[in-house]
Amino acid sequence: MFTPGSKYLIAITGLSAVSFALYMLLVHPSALGAVALIGLVAATSLITGVALFTRDGHTPDGQTSAATVDTPTPSMWPLVGAAGFALLLVGTITTPIVFIFGIVAIFAALVEWTVQAWSEGASGDNAYNASIRQRILNPIEYPILAAVGIAVIIFSFSRVMLATNKDAGAIIFIVVAAVVSVVGMLISLRPSLKKGIIGTIAVVAAVGLVGAGIASMGVGMREDLVVAAEEDHYAHQECGEEKSEHFDKGVSETISATSGVDATIELIDGKLTAQVQGIEGLQDSITVRRSNPSNIIFRNKDAGEFRLKANLGKKQIADGVMEEVVTCTQLISEGAEQWLTLTINKPSVSGEPYTLSIPGLKGQSIVVVVP
Amino acid sequence: MTLVNRLGGVICRLKSLILGTAGTVFLASCGRNAPQDTFQPKGPNAQKIDTLQKPVFAVAGIIGVIVAVAVVYSMVKFRDRGQPIPKQSHGNPALEITLTIIPALILAVVGVFTFRTVFDLNKTSDTQMIINVTGQQWWWEYDYPANNEYGITQPIITSGQLVIPVGTKVMLRETSRDVIHSYWIPALNGKRDAVPGRITTNRIEADEPGIYAGQCTEFCGLSHANMRMEAVALSKEDFAKWVANQLKPYAAPAESTLAKEGETVFLNQCTRCHQVNGLTRADGTPVIAAPDENVWSGAAPNLSHLMSRNTFAGAMFNLVTPECRTDVWKSESVTFGAKYLAGVDEPCLNQTDLRGWLRNAPAMKPMYANPALLAATGGKYRGMPNLGLSESDIEKLVAYLLTLK
Repeated sequence: MFTPGSKYLIAITGLSAVSFALYMLLVHPSALGAVALIGLVAATSLITGVALFTRDGHTPDGQTSAATVDTPTPSMWPLVGAAGFALLLVGTITTPIVFIFGIVAIFAALVEWTVQAWSEGASGDNAYNASIRQRILNPIEYPILAAVGIAVIIFSFSRVMLATNKDAGAIIFIVVAAVVSVVGMLISLRPSLKKGIIGTIAVVAAVGLVGAGIASMGVGMREDLVVAAEEDHYAHQECGEEKSEHFDKGVSETISATSGVDATIELIDGKLTAQVQGIEGLQDSITVRRSNPSNIIFRNKDAGEFRLKANLGKKQIADGVMEEVVTCTQLISEGAEQWLTLTINKPSVSGEPYTLSIPGLKGQSIVVVVP
Repeated sequence: MTLVNRLGGVICRLKSLILGTAGTVFLASCGRNAPQDTFQPKGPNAQKIDTLQKPVFAVAGIIGVIVAVAVVYSMVKFRDRGQPIPKQSHGNPALEITLTIIPALILAVVGVFTFRTVFDLNKTSDTQMIINVTGQQWWWEYDYPANNEYGITQPIITSGQLVIPVGTKVMLRETSRDVIHSYWIPALNGKRDAVPGRITTNRIEADEPGIYAGQCTEFCGLSHANMRMEAVALSKEDFAKWVANQLKPYAAPAESTLAKEGETVFLNQCTRCHQVNGLTRADGTPVIAAPDENVWSGAAPNLSHLMSRNTFAGAMFNLVTPECRTDVWKSESVTFGAKYLAGVDEPCLNQTDLRGWLRNAPAMKPMYANPALLAATGGKYRGMPNLGLSESDIEKLVAYLLTLK
């Protein structure tokens, strides 16, 4: 006979299934809703099945429930596996990293629980069974736990360093390094030190570091990093005549590429010229292919720092609002060269032509023709 | 029964089949209608390859025959007939050194001539004309940068057929917009890969006016086998006429004609991908096609002066009827240019294939053009999709396309 508990669970399972069916048929279904409801149906079905199989733990006098036969040792791994399955479901509709965590948790639960179950049946001696479990799993568990521990330490410490200002960060780095060295040295000088004390120090340090990391995440990154990220300093090209504080930082002035060049643009004595492979002499225009990356080398052979700027027309960014499309090299010094890749999707059949020019240098430009 | 005896039995039973196959292969080599035959050079670059490959092929063939005869002789002469194992000898320094030196000398001689030919073919310093060749699934685009010497005052862009002047050292600057392709006109030069992000050069030159067929030779997806090309060599005078025609401004169809209605259909349906230089909208604004927004490679054939070409759809289909095509292909050098430059008019138009293409392009050429299966390309097509045009629209479009001469 069904126990009251089983009946409740059967009802919940039925309601879940009906809800899922109604949701899919009558409501415009979303992935999130569908996964949530199908997950609910699966979970309640599982629990209901277990309750029915074990008769909800209720056994009539003189009988033995199937669930009471050969009861396994309590283990946390089914719980980990269930959590992993939940992460797996959530990960399918959120981000891949959650899905990966789910896979890892399920895999870990499968391995650990399988080996644990196998070892418990090895003999009647629990101590021996535990030892063979350790012999198999410890060589896997310790490196993985060590790697996870190191990752947590690095991540926590990096959060702290990103939250504090540069000067304070340097001091914190020095102090922490010094404390770790001193504590390590003291422990090595006192080999008789109790393990409990060493363990306590390690736990306190770990908790402190993780706590500081969490607190730093709450505070967020320091202001200059936030501003740099918001303004996209290091990717945003500033193609003016003047030196850009961010874009012109760490200038690359040599090119290792030797092939795949569409044209070489040189600035010599205030004059801009183009050389194209296969065409004799200097050109005042170059032809590049539509919708295809075209590589151009810019060589500055003039005194002073200059950049090559590509003027690629205008694009509409809002109703009636046009914005100039430009790209450029960094500001490079005399004798230096830099690579500029152009991808132009529209032909230059009308309007203003595409050009290459030097900011601050009047009357010099190379026409870029896109057939 | 020994293995050799069993093998002999099998050969006897299948000798008709083997002889028939060998005979067919042999007779196939005598075929004269072989436009992609590597042994029929039509230009100095292909001639250099031919001059190299024929003696190398002969030497390799003679050595191959000697080795094959020696192997067969040994197999038959010393086959297992139950006789005792003959005396085994190991080591014969004189013989081994001889058998090492002879092949090494042959390879050295072949190597010298091969390297010389490779360097000759890679020479670019005396180039007279440059053409940019861009491959994409599954057609070739040709653009001619401005070159005053040949009257190219504005860049010319075309596809399907590469038009060159005879006796001119033309350098093809090849690249690709999507995957690796390979450009090969066997009668004019060897093959050269077109690789995304790289420029590779390939020099061609034709001795005589004519059409020279080619084929993409790097597997590039579903319609690789249908990615063809043709090089059309014209006399310098005829090439100048071709250039002048390509530079002609756009001529809109006359009002109240079927072609004018076709222009409207073209504006609504085709200009999302295909450019026709000079075409304007009703308000006078120029039409700029946006293949970069609709096609994975970012390009679609420019259809300005479409009817000056003899092929379409990556040179897979003839734009002219078989009779008209034969008339051009088989014409004498003297008359070839005039016939080719006449372009395509209504009597010569291959209406069947062109209408079929407009009706349902993916049915005629395998392409990844099913909108339901474009997740990997962000919804962009690889190849031309089925536009679902009505027969009336197709009628108008054909009339309009005929005006693009």
